[in-house]
Amino acid sequence: MNASRIPTPPDVAWQQKHLLDVDVLSLAEIQLVMRTTDAMKEVLARPISKVPALRGTNVTILFYEASTRTRVSFEVAAKNLSADVVNIAASSSSVTKGESLVDTIRTVEALGADMIVMRHGTSGAPYLAAEVFSGSILNGGDGWHAHPSQALLDLYTMRAHLGDVRGKKVVILGDVLHSRVARSNVWSLTAAGADLWICGPTTILRGFDTWAGRWASGGAPGHVGFTVTSDVGAALRDADVVMALRLQRERMDAGLLPSLREYAARFGLTRERLAVAKPAALVMHPGPMNEGVEIAPDVAVLDRSVITEQVTNGVAVRMALLYLLAGGHPEAVTNA
Amino acid sequence: MPDLRVGKMVPLLEISRAWLVDPVGEREGPGEVVVRDGILEAVTWLQGAEADGIGPDGVLVLPGFLDIHVHLREPGNEDAETVASGLAAAAHGGFTTVCAMPNTTPAADEPGVFARVAGAAATSGSPVELLLHGAITVGRGGERLAALGELADAGAVGFSDDGSPVKSAIILRNALLYAGMLGLPIVEHAEDVTLTAGAEANEGLVATILGLKGWPAAAEISAVERAIAILDSVRADAPGARLHLTHLSTAGALDAVRRAKAAGLPVTCDVTPHHLGFTDEWVAGARRWAWEALDGAGTARDPWADGALVARPYATACRVNPPLRGAVDAAACLASLIDGTADAVVTDHAPHTAVDKETEFGLAAHGISGVELAFGVLLAAVAAGRLPLARAVAALTVGPAAVLGARPGRRGAARGLVEGEPADLVVVDAGDRWRVTADALASRGKNTPLLGRELPGRVLLTVAQGRLAYRDVAGDASGS
Repeated sequence: MNASRIPTPPDVAWQQKHLLDVDVLSLAEIQLVMRTTDAMKEVLARPISKVPALRGTNVTILFYEASTRTRVSFEVAAKNLSADVVNIAASSSSVTKGESLVDTIRTVEALGADMIVMRHGTSGAPYLAAEVFSGSILNGGDGWHAHPSQALLDLYTMRAHLGDVRGKKVVILGDVLHSRVARSNVWSLTAAGADLWICGPTTILRGFDTWAGRWASGGAPGHVGFTVTSDVGAALRDADVVMALRLQRERMDAGLLPSLREYAARFGLTRERLAVAKPAALVMHPGPMNEGVEIAPDVAVLDRSVITEQVTNGVAVRMALLYLLAGGHPEAVTNA
Repeated sequence: MPDLRVGKMVPLLEISRAWLVDPVGEREGPGEVVVRDGILEAVTWLQGAEADGIGPDGVLVLPGFLDIHVHLREPGNEDAETVASGLAAAAHGGFTTVCAMPNTTPAADEPGVFARVAGAAATSGSPVELLLHGAITVGRGGERLAALGELADAGAVGFSDDGSPVKSAIILRNALLYAGMLGLPIVEHAEDVTLTAGAEANEGLVATILGLKGWPAAAEISAVERAIAILDSVRADAPGARLHLTHLSTAGALDAVRRAKAAGLPVTCDVTPHHLGFTDEWVAGARRWAWEALDGAGTARDPWADGALVARPYATACRVNPPLRGAVDAAACLASLIDGTADAVVTDHAPHTAVDKETEFGLAAHGISGVELAFGVLLAAVAAGRLPLARAVAALTVGPAAVLGARPGRRGAARGLVEGEPADLVVVDAGDRWRVTADALASRGKNTPLLGRELPGRVLLTVAQGRLAYRDVAGDASGS
């Protein structure tokens, strides 16, 4: 661990029972997650990358939306900490029989869950779950609202390459309107002091201009403002990080965009567009990618593309979050 | 009258040293009233030394309130509310007359449903008068006109497909023409549903941050402007045509009504306590009044920046159609009451079961249970110096009566403190506060974001048509 790169205030304690969004995290808490993730990376580097930290803890992974990478990432993370893992996919559960979310959470609790990692298609659903569940809820993505573990792994990946992101130009390019990744990244990156730019066509930026405007003279306490634009060239100029977001075909059906072809031509992340960014600018994508739409295939595989590193770091960040929510202390991980 | 039961005639009630408000006589001040054998026998205005120390912050005596927009859920959804529980809730809120919307199951699109609802009101024993709106279209389906004439013969006071707008412009036009012939208003829920498909919260900062699909103000404004244009086009053919726009929630829609009224069109409108008192911040977890969410320059504050978020976000009690708007729109609702653009306050009382509300925000039923809390919200605005008490009372009495076109002499039409008429009044202790709890609400619908919070203005007594409608058992009615 390089302690000089990641400042660690000595007296920070993890205060959160649940992790529903990153908006409630102070910068010190975010740094604690980063520091704990460093410790988890060390664990992952061992020949046997498993510690008994969550032995006897039941982690139920309750996903109401199809997902492979996030679900597997949480499952691997929990197993690396020796937790007992129960997987519930909504399509194969009683949800399709009309059982309410509240009933499902109570049932999962009765079956012994200590923590629930939850993904849901409706914004805010984890807040309802947190109200009825006596253990901890870790939000694995809710509607358009939040994806805290993704934002934290994104930040971790940026810091691994750039050091402190304060003042670094980070561009999120694409469909932010429907993106929980974008919203959580706004909170974490403005807390970390990044120069955040959000870019995309006006129809799928809607509302973010209002948000940026409200934060123009200083954001929420502990957060800096950010910039919203449809001018890709201005957004990418001298960027340190460019993160492209997935564009879904449904957006065309809703009349938000004329065509995938037009989107790719005007907003796709290509080598030509990337040329105005800093030479070593990181290329990121939360996945799954539509290559040739929001990101050109040759960009995704550039040396400075850290897309697969995001996946690896995702396991470590999720280990850190599970560990902190279970009441662990970062210093104790390697001895656990 | 310790033993008097709800529904019984009030033998003798003397209220001394109270603050009276009479919107018919356009007078308010210290006074006394005497009710004998159900009749308002004497109204005495106190002068000089006798009036010392009596103010509008103590016991108020007001005409019984009229709410022209409630949902009583019977028939079809009695788990959420029945006529009996709804009338009890109305009396607790100070209302002596309510007008039920026809979006029951089945919809009140023919007189048989009216008869059933009226029967339930009669057997409830409540003296609160129940008026009925009929549906505009069959099954509220928006395609064929309901039995408007038969419903009028059965006592309908207006027609509405509330819960949904009349989608088809030609149906709306024909309904205005036909209802105009019958002398009754069309009560329109103005919403362009192509702009609100899947919408969850008022389009703006709160919806953006919470990741909720935006519900644009333009959906209401464009529907209001369309309805007004159609009204204008039928005026020559149907001089009796009247359009009433209910639960307006945006500055733009209220401006459109203001212009239409100035042009002499027969249009009226109402606003709700929740749209003038609450804001979309409440969805994020704020609970301050709308007027506290404006800064000195009249722009909305940012609850994330100033620490106003006190409750958990996504409370489904805040999910309502139209949605809670921003503080600027809420201020426009309040201003419309003061300048007379809005003719009435309605509660849009929309009780729901816990099952329909204890769910994900985007899946929860729309509506706030509000008939018991409306006057308290208005009193909070009065206490904050944002609304004259006389305007608040007028918007709950003479205002809605004028919307219905109630003629003097008809039951409950006076809405004033008129000697010699059956007593129809509410006694409120404006200086007292009470905590809103599930148990304290007579409605079966406990779906209000005010649950657990304190409201000013305890209703001590409601008398409808000379009969006891509600009595606060804990409080002191200052009478005998």
